[in-house]
Amino acid sequence: MSTTTLTEKPGKPRKPGKPSELGSGRRLLRGLPWLVIRQHRIALACVLGLTVLTALWILYERHELVQLLDAKGWPEKDPGRPMDDDRGYEYITSIINGLPLILAVFVGAPLIAGDQESGTAQLVTTQSVTRRQWLIAKLGLAYTLALVSGLVVSALFTWWWKPHRSLFLSEWIDGVIFDNTGPVLPAFLLFLTAAGITIGALARRVLPAMVGAFLFTAVTSLFVWDEVRVRLGSPKMFTYPMDTELPARFNDAYEVDRWVGSADGTLYNWGRCAEATEKATDACIKEHGIVNDVIEYIGYNQMAGMQWLASGILLAGTALLTAFTLWWTSRRPL
Amino acid sequence: MADTSTPNATSGNWALEARGLGKHYRRGWALRDCSFRIPAGRICGLVGPNGAGKSTLLGLATRQVQPTTGDLRVFGVPVDDPAVLPQVAFLGQDKPLFKRFTVAETLRMGAELNPGWDAAAAERIVRAGNVPADARIGTLSGGQRTRVAFALAFGKRPDLLLLDEPMSDLDPLARDEMSTLLMAEAVERGTTVVMSSHMLTELEDMCDYLLVVSEGRIRMAGDADALVPAHTLVTGVSRDGSLPPELTGHIVVESRVQGRQFQAMVRPTGPLPADWERAEPSLEEVLLAHLRSPDAPPLYTQGARVDAEGTQAA
Repeated sequence: MSTTTLTEKPGKPRKPGKPSELGSGRRLLRGLPWLVIRQHRIALACVLGLTVLTALWILYERHELVQLLDAKGWPEKDPGRPMDDDRGYEYITSIINGLPLILAVFVGAPLIAGDQESGTAQLVTTQSVTRRQWLIAKLGLAYTLALVSGLVVSALFTWWWKPHRSLFLSEWIDGVIFDNTGPVLPAFLLFLTAAGITIGALARRVLPAMVGAFLFTAVTSLFVWDEVRVRLGSPKMFTYPMDTELPARFNDAYEVDRWVGSADGTLYNWGRCAEATEKATDACIKEHGIVNDVIEYIGYNQMAGMQWLASGILLAGTALLTAFTLWWTSRRPL
Repeated sequence: MADTSTPNATSGNWALEARGLGKHYRRGWALRDCSFRIPAGRICGLVGPNGAGKSTLLGLATRQVQPTTGDLRVFGVPVDDPAVLPQVAFLGQDKPLFKRFTVAETLRMGAELNPGWDAAAAERIVRAGNVPADARIGTLSGGQRTRVAFALAFGKRPDLLLLDEPMSDLDPLARDEMSTLLMAEAVERGTTVVMSSHMLTELEDMCDYLLVVSEGRIRMAGDADALVPAHTLVTGVSRDGSLPPELTGHIVVESRVQGRQFQAMVRPTGPLPADWERAEPSLEEVLLAHLRSPDAPPLYTQGARVDAEGTQAA
């Protein structure tokens, strides 16, 4: 019999029945966690690699910014516009915006669909593990990956943005800031990973699952979430005399709408008196007794609350999708 | 009748025991009202045409499919009890393995997921086929892949091994090699084997117990040695182009009238007329006759049948 076929250490005869280096040995990972990590190690390495790269890049960019600001004597002196044309910021935010797509399409969608398509779902569940144990190990891996990646990137990005937010071009309510800081990014990644897994479990084939997850992620992050985000806050009104400046404390408030108002509190559309000539405009203002400008706004102080509310919604969605996937895959043949 | 292995009420001696087992899919019943027993320690052939319900039956036994009606016990334990898992190994038709795993990693998976893993046995099977341990599964030939799948199944040290057409995609040499391996391992351990197959010769060589399924129902169940002698192939003169009335007393599985002659596969219930020519059919002939005539009454040898209450019927 050939001795080169198996990785046997020469001169160390094994006793039959004893575990050899092929079967077990002292290892850190055991059982199902070992299996799912081994199976998905490429996806795991790619996502973790991207996370580390982004994290290091943010550290570097923040360091550069702090150095520049120190040199210019910020915040006492005006530092100019250091964030304009910042290529690093653009690249980093592109990567972060791509993370949900990567997790949904390349981690979530094939997670169960891949095993169903190749029959390895059957292979694993006819070993001495139940289908539920296997599903939990798979979901655990995907969710841990989403959570770790989301927490690391979000923490660093928040740490870069928050102290210097007046210098960033994007408003706090913009997706690029709101969705990528605080608890929202991890929750968003978890939700879309869960959505990808669910789509995969329903489709049972990798390619349709990936296409489905791509479309779902695109529609959710491009259209649906933009509508949801602004509805999370409770808009407030602020009235101030016409022809005066809006107080500086509203600089970072998100303006939902703008009105003009008369002394008795009646509100008119902002363009109510936009006439062709100044004379006509003045006449219109006089006619309606308009004396005030009114803004409807969501203050920056609401951001934290809105972010936690957003995370709550996304985590509830994740829980629902997870429960559905477990129920669906345990009642149908794999 | 052979009574070599018809254990009594202690149901632990029955590897598989089905009562009123049925599975309904959207298209209809894949398996209906199946009641049978397979004694422990036997090599049981599961025979039937495509779509007869063989794969559904194996799916039920491996918990891939949940029954619509009835129950199935493995060594006396209900199949949905997780305690059954370490006792049963399954080798599917397409023998799915992780294609990017190496052979060594595949065996490690067996060790990681099975409490009673026998690494030495699994490695011996792999090594005997000269399969390199560091080769990826995806690069192996069909025969080598089957060998690794067998190693995974036997490494689990199952008491019951379920095989769904295990040899169908192998060349004759590999098929012979795998059959020998299967028989050697099963006999050495006393493993009960249930294997579905289309190859009647393969069944004749390997199996000592048979379960014949057709159109979702059990047609025959029992000792191969007892099933075949229960049948007689008779040839005689027909009466006016139809079967002679003497046949009606016996159970006719299949009959054919050709000119002035008739030929029938019967299970005699008494003495047959002396002027009929009698022959003992081969296993293949009996199986084919039953598969061709799904309306023939099913045959159970002693102990193979259970009624709904679980009492034994002849």
